[in-house]
Amino acid sequence: MSDHVDGPRQIGDPSADLTDLFAFISPADPNRTVLAANVFPSAGTQAMFSNAIDHAIVARRLTIAGTGEKTQFKPSDPELRFTFRFDVLERATQGKRPLQRGTCTVPGGQAIRFVVDDENGSTSADGTYRVFAGLRSDPFYLAWIVAEMKKFPNLLQHDNVLTFLIEFDTRRVLDPAKGSLFGVIAETIPIPKPGGFIGHDPPRIDWVGRPEQTNMRLNNNGMEGTDDVRDLWNQQTPFAISEELMPLFRKRMVDSLKNWDMRDGKEDWTPAALAANANMFLDDFMTIDVTKPTSDTSHLEIEKSTLAGRPYQTGGGRTVDSDVIDILLTWMVNHDREFLQGGSTGATKPGTTRFPYLAAPNAELQNIAFSVDLAAPPDRVWALIGGFGGQWHPLVASIKLTGTGVGQLRTIETIDGKQLIERLDAMDNARRSYRYTSIAGIPATDYTGVLDVKPKGSGSSVEWRVQYMPGGQPDIIVKTISSTLLKTGLDSLKPRFGVPQ
Amino acid sequence: MIAEPALATGPVQATDGVIAAINLRSTLAQSWNRFWQAPLRAGIAEGLIEQEQLNAQFLGDLDAYDRLEQLAGHLVRLDPESARTALIEAQVAASTHRFAFARDCLARATHRGCPALAAQRLAMSIDQACGVSLEVLLEQRWGHARETGRLEDWVPLGSLLVDLGEFDAAERAYCRALDAYRDVSPFAVAWVCFLLGVLWGERAPRPQHARAARWYAKAIEDLPGYVKARVHLAEIEAAEGRCSEARALLLPVLASADPEVSWRLCDVSMAQGRPAEAQALCEAARSGFERLLARHPLAFADHAAEFYAGSGNDARRAFELTAIDLANRPTLRAFEKAHAAAIQAGEALEAASILAAARQRWGSTPAFLQSPLAAAQPHPEPGHAD
Repeated sequence: MSDHVDGPRQIGDPSADLTDLFAFISPADPNRTVLAANVFPSAGTQAMFSNAIDHAIVARRLTIAGTGEKTQFKPSDPELRFTFRFDVLERATQGKRPLQRGTCTVPGGQAIRFVVDDENGSTSADGTYRVFAGLRSDPFYLAWIVAEMKKFPNLLQHDNVLTFLIEFDTRRVLDPAKGSLFGVIAETIPIPKPGGFIGHDPPRIDWVGRPEQTNMRLNNNGMEGTDDVRDLWNQQTPFAISEELMPLFRKRMVDSLKNWDMRDGKEDWTPAALAANANMFLDDFMTIDVTKPTSDTSHLEIEKSTLAGRPYQTGGGRTVDSDVIDILLTWMVNHDREFLQGGSTGATKPGTTRFPYLAAPNAELQNIAFSVDLAAPPDRVWALIGGFGGQWHPLVASIKLTGTGVGQLRTIETIDGKQLIERLDAMDNARRSYRYTSIAGIPATDYTGVLDVKPKGSGSSVEWRVQYMPGGQPDIIVKTISSTLLKTGLDSLKPRFGVPQ
Repeated sequence: MIAEPALATGPVQATDGVIAAINLRSTLAQSWNRFWQAPLRAGIAEGLIEQEQLNAQFLGDLDAYDRLEQLAGHLVRLDPESARTALIEAQVAASTHRFAFARDCLARATHRGCPALAAQRLAMSIDQACGVSLEVLLEQRWGHARETGRLEDWVPLGSLLVDLGEFDAAERAYCRALDAYRDVSPFAVAWVCFLLGVLWGERAPRPQHARAARWYAKAIEDLPGYVKARVHLAEIEAAEGRCSEARALLLPVLASADPEVSWRLCDVSMAQGRPAEAQALCEAARSGFERLLARHPLAFADHAAEFYAGSGNDARRAFELTAIDLANRPTLRAFEKAHAAAIQAGEALEAASILAAARQRWGSTPAFLQSPLAAAQPHPEPGHAD
């Protein structure tokens, strides 16, 4: 997944784990460039930045040193480094997130202080720079079971990430008259203790250039029996991969791209084109031309055009809403013969056209689940509870069905006079399972439930679980209603069917 | 004995412990959402197990074990025949000390073709926890530690050396672990500091409380919410007569689900002349332990036994629990505890039988020579702990 959880070292502290890098021309002002990176996959709703890590975005001017099968992007000095460093937390006011401040140091050494989660960000005195850091909705979406190339709903739905972002005046900071093509990376580096490392910098934890360098290209899960080289890659110096290790990475990249090419059973890449593509990907930085427009479809256009031996047309880069996985899969699997659209066409929330461009964070999805083991075989239990209109629950006074099959509604009157309306979304009698959505009666949104019966030993196991986003009411109300409903219903099955001894 | 090393904990800063604890809880909630959305997706359940274990081990959220059993149960319902499910069942069972069941699951997982390295590492952990084949394990642990040089391999080596009574070597292994650490999570660092505290405060034949206290304090400095480190340090503070300091350590974590907090605070309250408060805390600890024992008897038998042998004031219950623990994992330490509990409960014959079994199993090991069992009499007078 992009760069989410891309090695054992990141799992130790997920707040060090870079997930994505973005580089685009501001949709609000074409004279300004935006560089942003995310850390902490599945950050939840409370996550804070580590105070022990330098979070950096680094840009270097590029020249095109070769095209076609000799494609090469050559970085030049000096690097332009934007470093975000975060403080420890300040005491929270009642019910709010603790306050965290940070500092962004820009090329030339100017330091800009900011407050985490402040959507207005902080602007330097002369207006050149504007910075933001805080919790946002994860704009990345992956809608494939990649190993099987099977479409799937977005696997990162409702996820949040921690974003650090800098927007700046393109002309003043990058001086595009000297060359407008840039390579960009983001990296996380532990902050050494005084005297901790003598004579060298501490090893970086993670870095990211183009999406999916580690999780899909270097660690291709379709290639069984290969070593995980992600940590080795993450410890390389961006823009200067070890010459000694380059043959290892090149072989892995070529093997991996061959594997991707054959995922649809067709060979779309010639060996020479594939080798050139592998070399291009090993120059791992996000390319952006800051004098040309970026769009949701311009990602990889600079690389593709250069490999084809023609001038590029767009600014490349990567926008917040760019469908990078489908763009990448299409390129690797069929060489852009036919667009591969995954099971979702967008992230949980789209980005915005205003600073800070990434959408506000998602609320936390709530889960409630109960199960009961019964002595009766699954078919007998399913015969009682498997009907969407079945009246077996002790808290239900009556059920009225409207319509038939998937989409039908059940209107439930509870014994204490409440009304619940639910819609059947899926019924699978073979697997003894149905799924429904609450339409009315529960003060929550996206409230879905699943009831199923599975065999267990000589008896069965019944599980009932619901998932929802908290609505306007305090969550405890929904939680209490749902828990009571589920638990009372399942407990009522014990005397009917007995429990295993 | 080697000189005490400085409290050095690696060359990089660790993330502030308050931030790390917030982040762990934050990511846990989201991980569960992802699990319910796609329970069979590789990596989600595995990550959740790691996170819930951190949550229980460091933040005292012992309900984590219930959730882990729910996770394993859900996978068994959905995918009962896979190697992955069997391996996860084994991991969850081992985390609640259901070692025999964990071995069964691990055998199933291996038979179904689970990754050999994962199976081997879990098998080693179970063997170590049960005191099985320790000499063979020692060789393997040394091999792993030398091969990878990682904290994750030096730490279990250190713990094994403690079990073998090689305390100085254990300390060196723990310090190698700290020195090898290059990451920023404070959990790993705090964990090693805590183990160093346990080594010198509880496991060494002649406890060095001041030395242990410094390591516990370092663990708390790295991770202020580290419940067990606070409990252990408070125990030392209280024993040294610094009851106010002990109270200050325990109060911030009283809301955790770990009954050991109430138990130790009960002792402090008693020492401070607050009998009513002590009584209430003792009851809270008792009900807390019994609640845990009802759900995870093997995981909490030894801790609950210590409570009943002390403030819980029920020597018979303590003996019952140590016997359960001993049957589950016949380590030298489990023998020591069961023997002491049998004597305290006036079960002289049982004590003699335990001693004989301990001698048979452990008598030829160097660790036994340092054990209180080495000097124990086969037929002590009833009612006197050795």
